[in-house]
Amino acid sequence: MSDMLVKDEDAREPLQASFSDASNPIGLDGIEFIEFATSKLQALGQVLEMAGFKPVARHRSREVLLYRQGDLNVVVNGHPADARGAAHGTDAPAIAAVALRVRDARAAYAYVRERGAWEVPPRAEVMELNIPAIHGAGGSRIYFVDRYREFSIYDVDFVPIPTVEQRPPAVAGIHFFGVVQYIGAERSYGWIEFYRELLGFELIPDGQRFGIMPKGKLLRSPALNPATSFMLQLVEPDLHVYDSDEKLQRIGLGVPDVLQAVQALRAVGMEFVETQAAHTEARGAITKTYLGSVVFELVHSDKLGTGGA
Amino acid sequence: MNTSGFGMDTISLAGPLEAKLQAMKDAGFSQVMLKANDLVGHPHGLHAAVAAVRASGLRGTGFQVLRDFEGLSGHLHEYKVNIAKSMLQMCHALGCKVLLACSSTLTHATQDLDHIARDLRKLAMLALPMGIRIAYEGLSWGRTVNEFTTAWDVVSRADCPNLGLGFDSYHVLAAKTALDEIDYLDPAKIFLVQLADFMWQETRTFEERMATARTLRVFPGEGVHSEALAELVLKLDRLGYQGDYSFEVFNEDYLNLPLPVVCERARMSAVWLAEDVLRQSTPLPNSMRLKHTATRG
Repeated sequence: MSDMLVKDEDAREPLQASFSDASNPIGLDGIEFIEFATSKLQALGQVLEMAGFKPVARHRSREVLLYRQGDLNVVVNGHPADARGAAHGTDAPAIAAVALRVRDARAAYAYVRERGAWEVPPRAEVMELNIPAIHGAGGSRIYFVDRYREFSIYDVDFVPIPTVEQRPPAVAGIHFFGVVQYIGAERSYGWIEFYRELLGFELIPDGQRFGIMPKGKLLRSPALNPATSFMLQLVEPDLHVYDSDEKLQRIGLGVPDVLQAVQALRAVGMEFVETQAAHTEARGAITKTYLGSVVFELVHSDKLGTGGA
Repeated sequence: MNTSGFGMDTISLAGPLEAKLQAMKDAGFSQVMLKANDLVGHPHGLHAAVAAVRASGLRGTGFQVLRDFEGLSGHLHEYKVNIAKSMLQMCHALGCKVLLACSSTLTHATQDLDHIARDLRKLAMLALPMGIRIAYEGLSWGRTVNEFTTAWDVVSRADCPNLGLGFDSYHVLAAKTALDEIDYLDPAKIFLVQLADFMWQETRTFEERMATARTLRVFPGEGVHSEALAELVLKLDRLGYQGDYSFEVFNEDYLNLPLPVVCERARMSAVWLAEDVLRQSTPLPNSMRLKHTATRG
């Protein structure tokens, strides 16, 4: 009894992760990087810099750049074939892939293929990493990466840009919050099943929403460490709207203080949408659409590094 | 008159793909059920066939047919997964939203319905990023699944949004499944209805069913099961089925007739179903959701 009187509640037992092994079948542990594909490497780089990212390394064999801020990695793929393929013939940049951290990439790859994931043929050059990938929405890819603790995949495939700070701090506490995926009409339940079956995502009640763009269905990723969990938002077209394109539309960045973050990014040139329908407020903000397709959403998210909040 | 919900199958017609498509259009059809060999057997190859379908303006009702997919294991399963992927790629290239998968006839395949359901769920997952739905049909000579009731059981067990039922009147009538069973289906999970009548009163054995199915089907209203077929269509309609009806008419004689003659028979059949059986109203303006879609992936 006396012990309980002097100890506070948290000290009795360590807080357990919110996902068990069974509900996190591939040992998902957050996002390693987001890949954009574009033929406009410079122009997209400029937009990323306005969102607080800094170029830190170049790929050894391909026209690919690595941008970074805090724990976020963004790979910009300017390889012509990739840029053309990911953008489906348009010249707007596209989110071409999401790389997921998993406990064991080989096991994860086998697990998802067993359940109907469609593998992408590997094409690593000599001495480069062969990162397993499957098909995702609208021709995008989902990669599985397991080497993120002891060493970084970028050490193998990338050469640091000299004199550049390799770990630039995040602007205004920016961390990864989620991905927004546009889907065809009446496709929500199909995609929910896809992410649940293959990756262990769980659906969040419709009443629970974050930021200023609440449409659609929201899923939460499982994570080995609750702080690395992230969101996936599925947005269908409005009824009678003729648009059945499917794609990863934008990424959501979490910030502890939206207004301060907006101020900080405005200072480096980013413009935000301020209309009746969407405008900056304490819950979130959304940037202007750059280069015909590139948008960032800011979402209020309290703890630094908590994707799920 | 509104016959837009009815379409023909390329398998009912002889000749090159372009001629089939033109003949269907000339007869007033707006959709077509395509088969894999329409594409791969095209003299100018796959891309030319896809271009011909797209240029025709006909909407693809669906794409057929993946056979004997479920219930296998080991290397046989791997092999079938690869076949399925190729089928899905062709289906996607055509812009078809439904792939028809028929129940297995293989004696190698397991009869465990849960195993079958698991395999079909995997197939549905493979199809999902492309926006394709799998219509699972019980062949009346399938080894384990040979009635739509069992097919529905499997679809329910698999419980996947893009896996549903392919409903073929021929197999229902040949297997003499009670039509009252239709009342237990979920109309939203019937992804395709294929209609055909036939000329024999009875098809008792699997062999007989197979032979009749492949040579002597006729258009709805032309055979001896018109009454049952009308009842079946009415039941589906009452249930709330709003999807497409496609005429799955394999007939040796039709393959030796001029295309306009066969298409005219199909048109008469569509008119009979729309006007006499269903008494379909014409759609009200702005009450339709456009079906033509072009999901990428």
